[in-house]
Amino acid sequence: MKRKKRGPAPRLLWTRLEEVWPQQGRILTAPELFRRENLGFVPQRCDLNPTLSTTVREFVLLGLVGLRGHRRDREARLAWALDQAGLGGMAEKDYWSLSGGQRQRALVARALVRRPRILFLDEPTKGLDLAAEDALMQSLTDLNRRESLTVLFITHDLTLAARYASHVALFHNGKVEGGSIADAMNPERLLSTYGVPIAVSQETAGKVTVSMGRGTDNQ
Amino acid sequence: MIENFLSSWHLFHNSYLAGWLIGLILALIGVLVVARNQIFIGVAVSQASAFGIALTMWLGAELPAGLLLGFNAESLSPVMAVIFSMIAALLTVPGGETGKETPEAITGWVYLFAGSGAILIVSHSPLGLEEIYRLLSSSIIGASATDVLILTVLLLVTTIFVGTSHRRLLLFTLDPAMAAAVGMKIKLWGLLISSVLGLAVGLAIRTSGMLYTFGCLVLPALIAKSLCREVRAMFLVAPLVSLGAGVLGFILANHYDFPPAQMTVALLCLFLCLAWAWRRFRNDLIKSP
Repeated sequence: MKRKKRGPAPRLLWTRLEEVWPQQGRILTAPELFRRENLGFVPQRCDLNPTLSTTVREFVLLGLVGLRGHRRDREARLAWALDQAGLGGMAEKDYWSLSGGQRQRALVARALVRRPRILFLDEPTKGLDLAAEDALMQSLTDLNRRESLTVLFITHDLTLAARYASHVALFHNGKVEGGSIADAMNPERLLSTYGVPIAVSQETAGKVTVSMGRGTDNQ
Repeated sequence: MIENFLSSWHLFHNSYLAGWLIGLILALIGVLVVARNQIFIGVAVSQASAFGIALTMWLGAELPAGLLLGFNAESLSPVMAVIFSMIAALLTVPGGETGKETPEAITGWVYLFAGSGAILIVSHSPLGLEEIYRLLSSSIIGASATDVLILTVLLLVTTIFVGTSHRRLLLFTLDPAMAAAVGMKIKLWGLLISSVLGLAVGLAIRTSGMLYTFGCLVLPALIAKSLCREVRAMFLVAPLVSLGAGVLGFILANHYDFPPAQMTVALLCLFLCLAWAWRRFRNDLIKSP
């Protein structure tokens, strides 16, 4: 696969997904999936003016911009999104009183309130401590399984990708190489992408772990 | 006190109505300015508007009437005020591109250029200097029925604009990246908001002067920010605060024979201190177990 224009990978994924075309074979997608109302986006950071008061409710409902719906529908979407993001009962809380992990969940809820079929997340765990990172990624995994929501996240953290992703796409020098986690995460590809040796070990259950250093270890 | 005010109504009703209408319009737009943390833009746009008026006066004095297409400087000055404030507002639209100057730096340049330029242009004309000092110090006495009509139309347009697109305005104001992601054309929205800001300030400045214009633009929104728990409520609270301060300010000014614009702005400053105190008290209350 090759992309037409160079640029930061997150922006490419969000705005130019339709411009990715295969050098060989075909990409099978359902075009209706890529309509804006079916896409949810969680940005890496939110440049909210910290002196402005806002509630979790107001913040999350902003995600509905561009969608039509009655008040009852909006309330149902809000309650569902907050529950899914683990913020149930916090609608009336001040956004600025939330912890870093909860604010990240509020961003996820704002994307989920659109009831997307694909959820894009740009560096979703950046700035979170280990516990918050694990809790957030576990919530996303649950969403993927329970709601059949396709989750596409961008990360520089290979360990995170190896732990939670089923497929990866490696962006380097304007090219994309991808596949299932077991196929794409091999030391040669990672070396050509990152320019440093990375050890990959595959467990029998198909789980992949990566670490800095040389070698492949199949258990 | 109120009887005194009512007895002055037949003489000054146009000035009072114009002052209140300006307060309502600018308070609505001010919410966007304050929410985007661009308070200094308000004063730069006001200064650019004064520069437009000074330029028109200079052109009126220096050029033959034919070169002004038959218009006199008096009738051209509101148009020039609007044009220059819109140019200033558009110049200060945040771009965010790497390698370009920051909006704050451009805003500072606009303010300093317009401020120095306005004085230099009219410095050899006693009448011109007097007009510029009047604009800077603010006086709302002298508004006409036409001013009231134009401001009423602008208030209606602004209210409809904010009412029909407040959710989009909120998202654009609070998180432009997300706004772009859901399909909003953020450059276009930035231009639209700046144009509305420029138009409102340009129309207000000639009737009410810089102090009142800038005061009504930022103070009610800052008060609303301290009082409201949600940004959308600010669109309701800021105009109400502005109108309340305007009515009280004009009544007090009339009774104690003070200039109404300065009285209103002073009241708004006092209200802001009270709002800050309330916010601090509320935050302490939330933090306490």
